[in-house]
Amino acid sequence: MSLLDIKDYRLDIDTFDGPVHVLKGINLSINRGDTLGIVGESGSGKTVLVRSVLGIGPRNARVIEGGISFDGQNITNLSEKEWAKIRGIRISMIFQDPMTYLNPLFSIGRQISDVIAAHEKAAGHGVSPKAARRTRTEELLDQVGLPNPAMLFSQYPHQLSGGMRQRVLIAMALAGKPDILIADEPTTALDVTVQAQVLDLINSLVEKLNLTVIMISHDIGAIATVARRCAVMYKGEIVEQGLTRDILSNPQHDYTKRLLSAVPDIDAAPERVAARPAASEPAKSRFLLEAVDLKKVYRSQSGEDFTAVNSLSLSVRTGEIFGVVGESGSGKSTLARMLLRLIDPTSGDVIFDGQNISGLSEKALRAMRRHMQFVFQNPHSALNGRHTIGDAIGEPLRLQTKMGRREIEARIEALLDIVQLPRLFKYRYPHELSGGQKQRVCIARAIALNPRLLVLDEPTSALDISVQAQVLEFLQQLRAEMNLTYVFISHNLAVIRQICDRTIVMKHGEIVEQGETEQIFLHPRENYTRTLIESGRKTSQAADL
Amino acid sequence: MLTFAFRKVLTLVGTMIGIAALTFVITNVAPGDPARLVAGPNATEDMVATIRTEYGLDKSLAEQFVVYMGDLAHGDLGTSIITTRPVLEEVLRYAPATLELVFVAMGLGIVIGVPLGMLSAVYKDGPLDQVTRIFSISGVALPAFWFGILLQLLFSVDLGWLPVSGRLPLVTRPPEALTGLLLVDSLLAGQFSTFWVSFQHIILPAIVLSFPCLASILRVNRAEMIEVLQSDYIVAARAHGISSFRIVALYALKNALLPTLAMIGLRFGWMLGSTVLVETVFDWPGIGLYAVSSALSSDFKPVVGVTLMIGFFFIVANTLVDLAYAWIDPRLRKA
Repeated sequence: MSLLDIKDYRLDIDTFDGPVHVLKGINLSINRGDTLGIVGESGSGKTVLVRSVLGIGPRNARVIEGGISFDGQNITNLSEKEWAKIRGIRISMIFQDPMTYLNPLFSIGRQISDVIAAHEKAAGHGVSPKAARRTRTEELLDQVGLPNPAMLFSQYPHQLSGGMRQRVLIAMALAGKPDILIADEPTTALDVTVQAQVLDLINSLVEKLNLTVIMISHDIGAIATVARRCAVMYKGEIVEQGLTRDILSNPQHDYTKRLLSAVPDIDAAPERVAARPAASEPAKSRFLLEAVDLKKVYRSQSGEDFTAVNSLSLSVRTGEIFGVVGESGSGKSTLARMLLRLIDPTSGDVIFDGQNISGLSEKALRAMRRHMQFVFQNPHSALNGRHTIGDAIGEPLRLQTKMGRREIEARIEALLDIVQLPRLFKYRYPHELSGGQKQRVCIARAIALNPRLLVLDEPTSALDISVQAQVLEFLQQLRAEMNLTYVFISHNLAVIRQICDRTIVMKHGEIVEQGETEQIFLHPRENYTRTLIESGRKTSQAADL
Repeated sequence: MLTFAFRKVLTLVGTMIGIAALTFVITNVAPGDPARLVAGPNATEDMVATIRTEYGLDKSLAEQFVVYMGDLAHGDLGTSIITTRPVLEEVLRYAPATLELVFVAMGLGIVIGVPLGMLSAVYKDGPLDQVTRIFSISGVALPAFWFGILLQLLFSVDLGWLPVSGRLPLVTRPPEALTGLLLVDSLLAGQFSTFWVSFQHIILPAIVLSFPCLASILRVNRAEMIEVLQSDYIVAARAHGISSFRIVALYALKNALLPTLAMIGLRFGWMLGSTVLVETVFDWPGIGLYAVSSALSSDFKPVVGVTLMIGFFFIVANTLVDLAYAWIDPRLRKA
């Protein structure tokens, strides 16, 4: 008999506009010791499905048909009291963003020993003394490979790095010695090198503790690293399931095929969409943007200095896509913001089209801004939820030009055409759009004034893989059509390889390596670059095919 | 944490100097010649001039300011014209009554507001939530003097359960003043009947003073709880098997308390200001009543003194709130 059995599971969520069919007859069974991956894009219902297994689904959810049984017990409609015996003890869960899933006001030790105490209480025997729970907590921290558990015990989440926090969450999930560990996008919010470590940890735990793992992810590479079996979810249904190896090498369903082809491959030499725009404009200088000796020092309130970017120089050629790659904390975003003087550098110069913008007055800088625009990482937060799409796109026009109402309306429609969205979208609000559509709106807003330079800060990392592919392709088309130059920031090496002409690799605020992108990928000179590419390859699905 | 506390105390001193400067400006732009006021309506020019010299009013504004600040630094708030006693002495004599009232009112606001806000959030849109919504809107909307009189009419005049006004009946001998707070002093002295009587006296004014404050604490805490309960770490805590009660009453509440605390700090200052109205309605012998009676007899030194005193308490309260913030939130400790 299988450990977990999901049969004909149908679930609706009641909304203001009536019920939404979120899960449409899910059939899935998992045996003890199995590792199952669930792949699907956002909105496919994968998170709702696994949360139902723990009884922590959305409040207004209703089970229409079918049920879930765990170890022979029907757990579809358990009471809170009965759940207490299962949750965190027999089935436990780790989450996507280790920062937001730890309570910021309680120490690591307190949070884990609370979980231990809760389990002891649920099991019916009394709560063990503080010291015993502390020992157990330190054991758990040690088990997930965290150094110095005794010190960690009294530390708070904000003092830990992302990878360490994820390990803490895993330790917490292991506290009850669970049968099933559910991992909900456990690596999505982490850096590539850390991703690989966390996946390794999960793999070693599966072996050591005979864990059964259900991992959901939109990153097929991560699934392939951990899961032996795999299910593909699409619009609330499982469209395909079987051995991961088989599905990756021989996908049957259309959606799976599309999904797999959308995954950027770190080992594939790119085919560029369009050649560089013919030198139609006589370029004033060969470089559109130069940074000379840029430096940014942040001073914390306690008086310590933190150098985010250190003496960094670069030059971006007119018409190229210039990649910036590095892990979080490497200073990528600080650099991007300094390039457009959204923040002022501590020292150094930024030269745009032959003009030094570091010394420009507020007014001159504002005039300059129409030539250089920024696209932010998260389109969900980059748009004001109370403004219509039309307002958002029209804003730069209202601020920077003397165009009349009609002209602006016409321009908005033209811009929607350019980003391939229906014109009627101008009346809509951001929450009515999908992530990919929102990012298109952000791009439309950025190109409204016909800029010459776009700085894109991780423009696709908040998007699903299939959407990412569309946006990347669209960005390349747009560059050719509008004669644009991009500075493209990403932590995803496969994406960088796919679209960037030249690339710099950043670490601790400095350039580790720079050159033609292909050159860097084929013959990395520095160890750090090699590690980065190796980690990227490990989770890149191509390596597992 | 210590440097943090030290910096807060420095800020406190700076703000006090600012308030003192502001009150100086206000008293000097107020119409009327203080010397003539002091001298009285029948005084001759000579007498006015003498008084002007005596009070230093013939000096330039800058000089007057230096003298004023110097006096303040020595704790000299000037002398009341009516009672001819030092203002500081009088303010200190009336302050405990006001503080006692404010503490009780604030206590009510917190003890009732925080849990009700929490429950309204947990049972959002349920019957309790609807009731507290009406309750809190009326709390902010009802004018204190009207609400006070209404309560007096009902509980003191009609039902006769509680005294109409004052702090203690004339016949009751107050306990030896250690803290100046009757409720505390009477307990310390073991006079339980006095405690009971003073408790009966403070109930109505405290309710009137705390009502708007309770309402806003409730609303802020409710809104924060709703947000915190939707956060990821609450989902995680549920998934790890922590009990619902512990999640709400500990994990979520601690996070929701931060903005609530800020509201409490602000409301504290507002309350001190409102004592002027409430003390007048209930004839409560605190600094509010003192300020009103002084102002009515054009005796401005006490008014300035009371303003400074309220400013001082307000800043102290908010410094405590800041320190509590750091105590609750580890992220702020280093800063």
